[in-house]
Amino acid sequence: MPRSLPGRFLVLLLALALATAACSSRDETTTGSGGRDGGGDTSQEGGAEIDTENCAVDPTTEVEGDTIKLVSSFPQSGLTAAFSEIAKGWKAFFEYTNEEQGGVEINGKKYKIETEDKDDEYNAQKTSSNIEELVGTSGDKAFAVFSVVGTANNINIRDFLGENCVPNLLTATGSPAWGNPEYPWTIGSTLAPYTLEGHAFAEYLEAEEPDVKTVAMLVQNDDFGAAYEEGFKDAIEGTDIKVVKVEKYATGANEVGAQLTSLAATKADAFFNGGTLLACPDALKKAQAANWKPVIWVSGTCISKTLTGIAGDAADGVISMTNVKDPLNPIYDDDEAMKLYREKVKQYQPDADIDNGIVAYGWTQAAILVKALENAEKATRLDVMNSVRNLDGVEGGLLIPGAKVTTSGTEDPYMGETVQRVQYNFAEKHFENIGEPVDFEGKTAKLTPKGLISG
Amino acid sequence: MDLFISQLLNGIGNGVVYASVALALVLIFRTTGLLNFAQGEMALFSTYISWKLASSGLPVVAAILLSMVIAFVAGAIIERVLIRPVEVGRSPLNVVIVTLGMFLAINSFAQLFFGTDPQTMPKPWPSDASGNDERINFLGQSISWAVIALALVLTAECVLLFLLLQKTRLGLKIRAVASNPDSSRLVGINAGAILMLGWALSAAIGALAGSLVAARSTGFDASLMATVLVYAFAAAALGGFDSPLGAVISGLVVGVADALTTQYVDALNGIELVVPLGLILIVLLVRPTGLFGRQTVERV
Repeated sequence: MPRSLPGRFLVLLLALALATAACSSRDETTTGSGGRDGGGDTSQEGGAEIDTENCAVDPTTEVEGDTIKLVSSFPQSGLTAAFSEIAKGWKAFFEYTNEEQGGVEINGKKYKIETEDKDDEYNAQKTSSNIEELVGTSGDKAFAVFSVVGTANNINIRDFLGENCVPNLLTATGSPAWGNPEYPWTIGSTLAPYTLEGHAFAEYLEAEEPDVKTVAMLVQNDDFGAAYEEGFKDAIEGTDIKVVKVEKYATGANEVGAQLTSLAATKADAFFNGGTLLACPDALKKAQAANWKPVIWVSGTCISKTLTGIAGDAADGVISMTNVKDPLNPIYDDDEAMKLYREKVKQYQPDADIDNGIVAYGWTQAAILVKALENAEKATRLDVMNSVRNLDGVEGGLLIPGAKVTTSGTEDPYMGETVQRVQYNFAEKHFENIGEPVDFEGKTAKLTPKGLISG
Repeated sequence: MDLFISQLLNGIGNGVVYASVALALVLIFRTTGLLNFAQGEMALFSTYISWKLASSGLPVVAAILLSMVIAFVAGAIIERVLIRPVEVGRSPLNVVIVTLGMFLAINSFAQLFFGTDPQTMPKPWPSDASGNDERINFLGQSISWAVIALALVLTAECVLLFLLLQKTRLGLKIRAVASNPDSSRLVGINAGAILMLGWALSAAIGALAGSLVAARSTGFDASLMATVLVYAFAAAALGGFDSPLGAVISGLVVGVADALTTQYVDALNGIELVVPLGLILIVLLVRPTGLFGRQTVERV
């Protein structure tokens, strides 16, 4: 990734902030999933897909004792410190599981989840040294790595973990690169791959806004922006929608006035705002000031209450997507899963901001992981990795209704493939669901340019 | 044509921002002969103070003025406590290293004290119900109040600085100390006090610049000055580090070049920064003192 802290910080922050995540569902459409029958005993089948011959550490050794240790590294100080809220969500879920469920049951035995994490300030080099220290150079200090924040950060540790065959589970980034089959020990989370946003918007325009023929795009000048640009251009192929202008802004820039003047001058019918962090509300404000009123999509990283709050009424009516229930949306007030979340996070992580979508995202990741652990045949790294890679319609945490997590070996490692389009209601100060969830189950790899996956 | 003028105005809007930070850089250079890499972060910290004061109920203009006073005092203290002790031996590198350290430290303190969430700064100029700057029509184009306010403040700063440096006895002392600290001490000028004054003044100007930049921005966080400082350094280098007028004109040049590149040069999409950097390179090759800088003459 390009520049300095602020730049990266933005990217991720937003990315997660909304925790758009999600998951996928509809197993019947899944290809290549083989005869999975409920996730319980899928490991053998998947076992063939992960080559364990060159593992520096034997991944078939069973955990000794009764604790499973997960380690993580994420920013806890510096400009990106807001990401540490994610961990409050997953810690609350693990504590709840340990205290009230007696732990996680694998193959008839109960294990407690123990966690340890270190601050990397979003610096990918530091992530590496943190993880090497936490896992140990001989791989014996922790069972697996969980929810490491940042694309560059996960890229920096995937070789080390791959060589030692240590699972790197549910990375907290939406890059499509976690589908790269060359790294079977790394898998993404329920954050929807960024490329799906382009498809979700294109589908929406075709179905709901037949008059839209021209689209202008603002994207960040890096891989994150490329995923949006290529994803959307790919999605409109064969339709009568055209991208008339793409403006890029330097990673970390907060001010995109000149870009918006250029985009507004195209008078495009729709605007794909791929800006993240402060560039996102700034773009909305500048569009409003230029009196340009297109149909607007905002990055899934831009749906946090902080950013929409800054954009004010300029954010009214913007569309985006998510797959985690928004704690601010009153339709979930009586939802059992939401009530449990509110109660347990308050109890176990009292200083977490419950209304913050990224806490809900963290909680959800832990819930999915616990199910995957319980589906594993034995408490070994290989069995757990196989279980995570062969989830069959798992529901849990705060995933939106209709969203189920389905993965299939290295062919379909994407968890966040069912998404809910949402629209911001300025008067009510929250996003409202529009239409039914959209199901991309099993399609991410097909819908994503190859270069982005093998990146 | 309309589009061209809109981009020109965008460029001028950013240009006045770069110019006002560049002006603070130039002021320190004029009085102490040094570059202050922490200038942007000092301004950031003062901006947070303005914001804190304004959100505690003080009118925003009063908050900014109070924050300038605080910055003035803090600037003097920084010079006395952090800068002067390392100036011994007169190696300018010592001071540069200290200012780099301050760059990191002040940014971290700002996050520690004020948090990492983006904030919005109240606007000291007219804004509409949506919180957007009001605009006035001028020759068929609408110009936002933010740009007008920044331009007015910048002009006032330039005039006052010119008067201070060129027309007062104090200004004469400042120039004497910058040009030759040892000789100025020999003629009875309290060089230490003058250096403190230089830091204090530039910190106050920085506080004003930062607060206005934040008010013009949609939102701000601790990264407010990160990009601005790069452009401000570009402007100061382009104009010549010892010329306030050069800093202002170059700030505008850099801002306009950036905006026009965004609009018209697709090949540089997303890397517009190349343009000001290219300009600097050429200027430094052809005219190392900058466009408006004074040639130093050594007597041998």
